[in-house]
Amino acid sequence: MATDAELIRAIAAGDGRALDELYHRYERPLHAFLYRHGGPRDLDDRMQETWLHVVRAAPRYDPTRRFSTWLFQIALNLCRDARRRPPPEPIDPEDAATAAVDPEATQSTENRLDAARLLAALPEAQRSVVVLRYYCDLTEAEVAEILRCPTGTVKSRMHAALARLTALARAPKDEA
Amino acid sequence: MTERCDDARLAAVLGGEDSPDLAAHLATCEACRADAPAWRAVAAALAAARPPVPAAALAARVRHAAEPVLASHARRAQEAGFALWRTVGRAVAAALLPLPLLVLIDGWVLRAIYETLRAVLPDALSLYFVVNYTTLLALLLTVAYGAIPLLAERQTRLRHEEIYG
Repeated sequence: MATDAELIRAIAAGDGRALDELYHRYERPLHAFLYRHGGPRDLDDRMQETWLHVVRAAPRYDPTRRFSTWLFQIALNLCRDARRRPPPEPIDPEDAATAAVDPEATQSTENRLDAARLLAALPEAQRSVVVLRYYCDLTEAEVAEILRCPTGTVKSRMHAALARLTALARAPKDEA
Repeated sequence: MTERCDDARLAAVLGGEDSPDLAAHLATCEACRADAPAWRAVAAALAAARPPVPAAALAARVRHAAEPVLASHARRAQEAGFALWRTVGRAVAAALLPLPLLVLIDGWVLRAIYETLRAVLPDALSLYFVVNYTTLLALLLTVAYGAIPLLAERQTRLRHEEIYG
C-alpha cells in the first residue's frame, strides 16, 4: 500500500487516482473535523476547498512532515478564514430548546444539538484541541504540530476546555 | 483541583469510565465524585453526536473540481522531465566539446615531462612517474565528467523549485 507521501508525490505529478485514494483515507476524520469545528454550514464546500488546497500545494509538500498534520492544518486555516467571512450559523439556545421539546424530535437530534452547543461555547483554541483529540483521534503531539504550539499548551487547553464543558453540563442542575 | 483530578476528568470524558485508575481516584476524591455525573453527561453528549457521514457524491465532486489543477501538475511534471533531459544533454555536450583538445594538451605535457625526466633519471623510473601522473589525470577527468550530469540534474531541479515552488 502506498504511503501518504508517495500518494501526495503522485498527486503533484497529476495522478487523479492517488487523489482518490488519499481522499478516501482521510475522508471521515477530515469531514468530522470540519463539521465539529465549523458546523454544518457549507460543510461540503469546505471539504472540497480543503482538498483543492491540498492538490494545489502538493508540489510544495515537505515529505519530512506528517501528511495528516499538514491536512488538518490546511482545514483549520480554512475554518478560520470561513469564520472571518460571513457571520457563522448561530446556534440559538431558543432553537435548541424548541427542538428539545418538539415531540417529533429524536433523541439523537437532542444529543447533536447538545454537543454542538457545548463545542460552540468553547473558545476556538480550546474547541480545536477537543475536536482534534476526540473526533479525529489524534495524539497530543500531533495536535500540537497542527496548532503550532507546545504539547503543554495542548494539554492545558484540553483541561481548560473540559473544565468549561463540565461547568456547562452542571449548570442546568445548579440552576434547578 | 489537582493535576490528578484533571487527568481523571480527561480519562472520564475521552476514554470512558472503565479505567481502574479513574475508579480509584473517584473513590478517594470527593470533589471529582461530585463532578462525575457532569463528566458522564459531557462524554455522552460528545459520543452520541457523531458527525454525519460524508456524501458519496462528494468524492466525485472533489475529483471533478481538482481535474484542472491535476492536469496542470501533469503538464508541469512532463515539462520538468523534458527540461531535465535537455539540460543534462546540453551540459554533457558542452563538456565533451573541449575533450579532444584537453587530451591532446595532456599528451603533449606528458611527453614533455617524460623527455625531461629521461634526461636526468633512468628510463624505467621516468616511465613509472609518467604512468602514475597519467593515471591521476585520467581519474580526475573521469570524476569531473561523471559529476556533470549530476550537477546539471540538481541545477534543473533547483531552478524548477525556484519557478514553481
